[in-house]
Amino acid sequence: MRRRPFVGAVALAAVVALSATACGSSGGGSSSGKETITIGFQGVLSGDNQQLGLNALYGIRTAVSEVNADASSPFELKLVESDDGGSPDQGPTAAQKLIDNSKVVAVVGPMFSGATKASEPAYTQAGLLSVSPSATNPSLTKLGFRTFYRVIAPDTVQGKAAADYLSDVLKARKVFSLDDKSDYGTGLSAALEAELKARGVALTHDGINPTKDYTSEATKIIAAAPDVLYYSGYYAELALLSKALKEKGFTGKIVSGDGSLDPQYVAQAGKAAAEGTYLTCPCGDANSDPNAAAFVASFKKVNNGAKPGTYSGEAYDATMALADVFKKLGKGADRESVLKAFGSVNLQGITKTVTFEPSGEVKGSNVFIYQVKNGSISVLGNTANLIRS
Amino acid sequence: MGFLDQFWQLSVDGLMVGSLYAVIALGYTLVYGVLQLINFAHSEVFMLGSFGGLFAARALLPGDGSVPGGAGSIALVAVGLGAGAACGGLAAFTLERVAYRPLRRRAAPRLAYLISAIGASLFAVNLAGKEFGRQNVDLPDLFHNGTVFRLFGAAVSTQTLVIFAVAVAMLVGLDRLVAGTRLGQGIRAVAQDADTAVLMGVNVERIIIVTFVVGGLLAGAGGFLYAMTFNASYSMGFVPGVKAFTAAVLGGIGNVRGAMLGGLLLGLVESYGGYLFQASYKDVIAFGVLVAILMIRPSGLLGERLGRAA
Repeated sequence: MRRRPFVGAVALAAVVALSATACGSSGGGSSSGKETITIGFQGVLSGDNQQLGLNALYGIRTAVSEVNADASSPFELKLVESDDGGSPDQGPTAAQKLIDNSKVVAVVGPMFSGATKASEPAYTQAGLLSVSPSATNPSLTKLGFRTFYRVIAPDTVQGKAAADYLSDVLKARKVFSLDDKSDYGTGLSAALEAELKARGVALTHDGINPTKDYTSEATKIIAAAPDVLYYSGYYAELALLSKALKEKGFTGKIVSGDGSLDPQYVAQAGKAAAEGTYLTCPCGDANSDPNAAAFVASFKKVNNGAKPGTYSGEAYDATMALADVFKKLGKGADRESVLKAFGSVNLQGITKTVTFEPSGEVKGSNVFIYQVKNGSISVLGNTANLIRS
Repeated sequence: MGFLDQFWQLSVDGLMVGSLYAVIALGYTLVYGVLQLINFAHSEVFMLGSFGGLFAARALLPGDGSVPGGAGSIALVAVGLGAGAACGGLAAFTLERVAYRPLRRRAAPRLAYLISAIGASLFAVNLAGKEFGRQNVDLPDLFHNGTVFRLFGAAVSTQTLVIFAVAVAMLVGLDRLVAGTRLGQGIRAVAQDADTAVLMGVNVERIIIVTFVVGGLLAGAGGFLYAMTFNASYSMGFVPGVKAFTAAVLGGIGNVRGAMLGGLLLGLVESYGGYLFQASYKDVIAFGVLVAILMIRPSGLLGERLGRAA
């Protein structure tokens, strides 16, 4: 799925224009007579890893358009977007933009762990519910953010499953664990390393801030001669790292996590350098899941033929869970009542059954393994099944 | 694995990156030599050249994803370099005409040039972001990449060899141009004393524009080489731009050979430093070295003047 930013910009402009006219008409009494409920989206809509944000945004738009097309729905949803560029610096400003908009009763997002950690104090203070489709740092649910929920399993789950896969299926005896020093990367690498250590796998750890020049890091990795390199970070950097490793003739396997699970990884690394790379994710592949066929069709219709990507399904589920809560609350859903009711949501989503622990952690989740084959990313299966077979 | 085991490998990596810094640094140093102006938009000339070369090479590649070989590879690299250089030269020419020349005509103060450069740079970055997208763009393999030979155990790949050889050829070519041709005489004359150069019949306006274009040609071709390893993106110019500027200052700004020396040295120091400490400290080490050298030799390793040293 390689979307042209230009088309994206046109789509964005169209949505802005449409919502502006919708706003104008509802100001003078909505023609459909339905109440309008506004939700916000905070995510990464610019920068190197923008594609992940677009994946989620399109998922939300799909949910919004389904709800609005449903004649039996007592309300219409309206979406307000706020771009944090995926960075902790811009997170609080992006959050404040949604908090200051008094119409917004709940938020889908933030997306990246670092930005979430920085934004969540503001949401908690404002009492505005935020449901992240993708922030997987384990500590996020332990920091006392009463407004934070996520529909994706934390990295402790992913890290452990990835470690099991590396040692049981890939038979790795020596692993080089590299992270990007972000909240996401360090959380994932810590979880991975804890499980590898417990299994007695030899381990080298290193961290490198996102950069363009991975040549000396590649030399370092090759000198350590690991069976597997596990990179905890995002696809733009993994692409450059893979290129550097291939250029230097690295013979081990490259494995990475959900932050790198995007076709952009293959596009930016080049097919040859990306070939064979394994990717782990606590997310299923909607495109190959028969139960999600209706979602995929609806997603393509709403988003000009784009296919769902990483986090699209989670963002869709988060939005649908919100819609479910709005339905139950009936008229007059406000920030306080939505926040109160959200913890007891129980909805069969397309990625999983959405129910929460009191901490805001989603109950039960599977970790899937993907691999780049012939230049495209295909799912190998659920970790538990792969290890058993 | 100790540092000494990897010393030669790190040297090879460092020289490759350093030769690119040197190529870009020449653009800064030439313009500074002639105008005493730091052209901060030079990094965007590099970026635009990179995209030019990338798109040209992509257009000529067979669409099936196969890697060409032999004469096809050589032709593709040559076309990419040519297109990159042409785009870089054109960008530098436009930049001079739009951002600097009007100021020179009005005898604007030095600060105005700086603001104008930053403005042009922001404009170019955002235009490229809008037109080429904000994702990194990969330059597909143009030749079969693999280890060609080993230098004291360090693997030297085809790609490293191509980048280093082309970069060095450009450096030597430029050195000859400045030192041995009539045009080079003109550049040196303007750098030494612009007023006297006018009295001696040198067309200063022409020299200035040619200097910009030569810097742009080098940066554009360098951008194409850079994209081979590090991909192209709208924001790619900033970091190599700052590094190249550092290299120019390190060697003595305004000094052509100084820029070359500075670039290679910076690449090596970064490569060693990135291995010895964490890779994230690369920039800290590079700029630390700059500060240290400037404290001992404030005018850079080889001194300042383009006219004298070349």
